[in-house]
Amino acid sequence: MNAPVDAALLHPQPGVKHLRARPLLGTLVEIAAIGATAERVQAGIERAFQAVEMVHTLMSYHAADSDVSRINRCAFDRPVPVYEHTWRVLAAAREMAEASDGLFDITIAPTLTQLGFLPRHADFPRISGQGNWRHVALLPDNRVRLLRRLRIDVSGIAKGYAVDLAVKALMDSGMSAGRVNAGGDLRLFGATTQTLHARHPGAPASIVPLVELRAGAAATSAGYYTQRRHRGRMITPLIHPHTREACGVERSVTVLAQDCMTADALTKVVHADPAQAGAVLMRFNARALMLENDPLTGGCRIFDSAATGQPGWRARWGVASDPGQARHV
Amino acid sequence: MSNLDRWLMIPALILPAAASAPAFAVQYLSVEQAQKVLFPGADQFVAKPVTLSAAQRSAIESASGVRVRTAQVNAWRAKQGGKATGWFMLDEVYGKHEFITYAVAVDLDGAVKGMEILDYRETHGGEVQNPKWRAQFTGKKAGDTLKLDEDIKNISGATLSCKHITDGVKRLLATYVAALK
Repeated sequence: MNAPVDAALLHPQPGVKHLRARPLLGTLVEIAAIGATAERVQAGIERAFQAVEMVHTLMSYHAADSDVSRINRCAFDRPVPVYEHTWRVLAAAREMAEASDGLFDITIAPTLTQLGFLPRHADFPRISGQGNWRHVALLPDNRVRLLRRLRIDVSGIAKGYAVDLAVKALMDSGMSAGRVNAGGDLRLFGATTQTLHARHPGAPASIVPLVELRAGAAATSAGYYTQRRHRGRMITPLIHPHTREACGVERSVTVLAQDCMTADALTKVVHADPAQAGAVLMRFNARALMLENDPLTGGCRIFDSAATGQPGWRARWGVASDPGQARHV
Repeated sequence: MSNLDRWLMIPALILPAAASAPAFAVQYLSVEQAQKVLFPGADQFVAKPVTLSAAQRSAIESASGVRVRTAQVNAWRAKQGGKATGWFMLDEVYGKHEFITYAVAVDLDGAVKGMEILDYRETHGGEVQNPKWRAQFTGKKAGDTLKLDEDIKNISGATLSCKHITDGVKRLLATYVAALK
């Protein structure tokens, strides 16, 4: 996934820049690239969109003929062969589940259906209500078997994989720099440093600057646009796998990592249990920034897993510097 | 308590409300650029605007299950060497917070050949500019002109769902059948 950035990319070449967007993966996918000629850039962006469309087709919970739907329909009765890309995402999901002691779990799909975040499929077999990620068996030759009657949903990780794949397509097309942003799961490559912004969890139409990024990935999970009312309370599709309770809507979590799939999955771990997440973030060499609305001032409190309290840590991690009027509690 | 969860005790940074900017508006493609992207081989686009009759509007609504808000259809016929190769349709959808201009290419069989977003705007009082505070983060000097789409491009955080566009495409396909075919 992580092709080393070519040394040539470190010296910015003047080039042609294009930016396009399409609705995919249930959000707006934005792809920008810089390359030698307009034709090559448009072809590179086209290739990157095709990569995203492929992930959308293979891993959609909504589409009846996706790999995910075939697993949900048949994999309890017999092993279901899946495409290589689906296999990679399932293997990464398993690795994340193991590393986080089940704080990341793709078997929360039935809870999401109950809460109205995922559609009902009339032809999926009944679930037993038992089992978790450990009961998704990955067999040789890219076959998948469910050891319990459960359902999977990979939407907490597949968007990140799609972004990684699209970035690889841009690099393979010879682009000197590029950016893919799938509704907040984003990855950059190239020579320039760019500021990453996140939405203010208390006022999502406003954005706040977070960090400087050059190459690497970021993913943000928050409930502001996905929340819905359920039994008198606002809930999000961010489910705690152990309690199967939906997280509240007050905070947003941004994770910075080497690749977008890792960042995407880790946001769910931090949401489920920020205190437990520290060790998992360390293991994946990732960093989390948690934004909380400050209802008193209308501002925002930013918690940073890289904050060690040592002088100079801000500069080391490239955190936006203290804007003077900030008050430390 | 290990020092791994120390980060949750004290905020690393407290941003005042003034440090947030309104979210964004992006122009991705002009109409001409979108035509070229969706019909790379075409050498001519002939505007064929249509005003829908009441009968056509209700036919489109019942075929697509989507409400038709305007009788105006912005359509172009794509041509290559004088021969028609398909239709280019321009449309807008309005959500709760977003305004999206998009284009759909339909081939001569009435199948979607492709689609592109031209404009995406999240409007909350429009593009309020407050370059002063932003200068302290972006390394720009106060007084530099900031273009939102140039300076603020890496927004991590969910975009609104694109369900309205999906509905819009359904409506346009039914419009093609009712008025362009």
